[in-house]
Amino acid sequence: MNGAAKGFLAIAFAAAVLYLLQHTTPGYGDITSPIPVTGRSGQKVEANAFAINIAKTHLARTITMKGIGRNQTFTTSGLWVLVEGVAEARSESLTLASAQWLGASGIRYALTQRFQAVPGLLPSQRLEPGLPRPVLMAFEIPENQLAGGTLLLARSAWMPLEEEVRIRMPDMERDGIKPTLELARNAGAVPWRLSGE
Amino acid sequence: MEAERRMTALSEDHPGERRRYWLSFAALAIVLPAAILVSSWSSLSEWRRSHTTAPLIVERGATRSYAGAQWQLTGLTRVRTGLPGEILIVAEFEAAVDDPELLRNGPCQVVLTDDRGRRWLPAFIPARIVRQVLPATVDKPRCSALAKAEHGHKITMAETFTIPENATGLALAVTAVSARPEFLIFKY
Repeated sequence: MNGAAKGFLAIAFAAAVLYLLQHTTPGYGDITSPIPVTGRSGQKVEANAFAINIAKTHLARTITMKGIGRNQTFTTSGLWVLVEGVAEARSESLTLASAQWLGASGIRYALTQRFQAVPGLLPSQRLEPGLPRPVLMAFEIPENQLAGGTLLLARSAWMPLEEEVRIRMPDMERDGIKPTLELARNAGAVPWRLSGE
Repeated sequence: MEAERRMTALSEDHPGERRRYWLSFAALAIVLPAAILVSSWSSLSEWRRSHTTAPLIVERGATRSYAGAQWQLTGLTRVRTGLPGEILIVAEFEAAVDDPELLRNGPCQVVLTDDRGRRWLPAFIPARIVRQVLPATVDKPRCSALAKAEHGHKITMAETFTIPENATGLALAVTAVSARPEFLIFKY
């Protein structure tokens, strides 16, 4: 092989390496993306800052709430998913400001903001170290996003390198969808009560 | 090879040049780290300041000068919430203002700690039970009252914490942001 051919090969090799580096460099969003902590429903999942155990999931077409003086009915064109669990801060008081339902097709659904003044409801429930607290999450999702759903929980949706607990939710039967679920306040350890027809 | 040949040529022409070349090279080992240190010095000191690393421990009942005031913990009261295993701690403390300028300069943080290193942040709104049991503390200003500090005034403050009943070795940590990295630890 003569010198010119060697030189050409060297340049081609260098170009190939540079191309590879350019196309495999992670973007800023990837570098600072949340650190996943995976777990399963019904299991205590421990991140560094908090621990959570998802106990029960309820599905409904309509949610009713008995308020002071008036009753409220929340309808949806999709499905109400109410998730009950127990959460605890591990070293410092915190709130879980971000909870999302990740559908099988990759679409994320944030917590509903339609309910007000329900004790224990995320994101307002404060978690303290040493005190496991019942937490309630409510999502409004299309019916086709139910199967293969994953629950994503973090202290904040925007902080770079934040821990994110990912809980794979069990597949639920459509028979389990209740026409109406009543959400009421409760005096006791669990500050709400869910009753369905 | 090429560089070496050039160096040899250089040293033959000017004998001092070769020495200076290597001296400059050696100097890089000192100059480069120094340059990095100088350019990041402000970030480094900012980072150090933002950490509370120097505790000023105050024994029970004692007063301590900190961030332009004389600080004292006046009470740490346990209140039952009715829920099993859970209690409220109402911490009452006061600051006699010496230097209002220093005190107003930045917010303050209050944290309750235990001997296992757990940290509880104060409640946003005191629980209803506190209003019944210790009504005087509910209307006391929070730590943010320091923004209105005036010379010679004594500011009495109260904060409420929800903690497990079995927590031991409680201490109240007070940090004035302007006085970091120093912070107060009231032993109880």
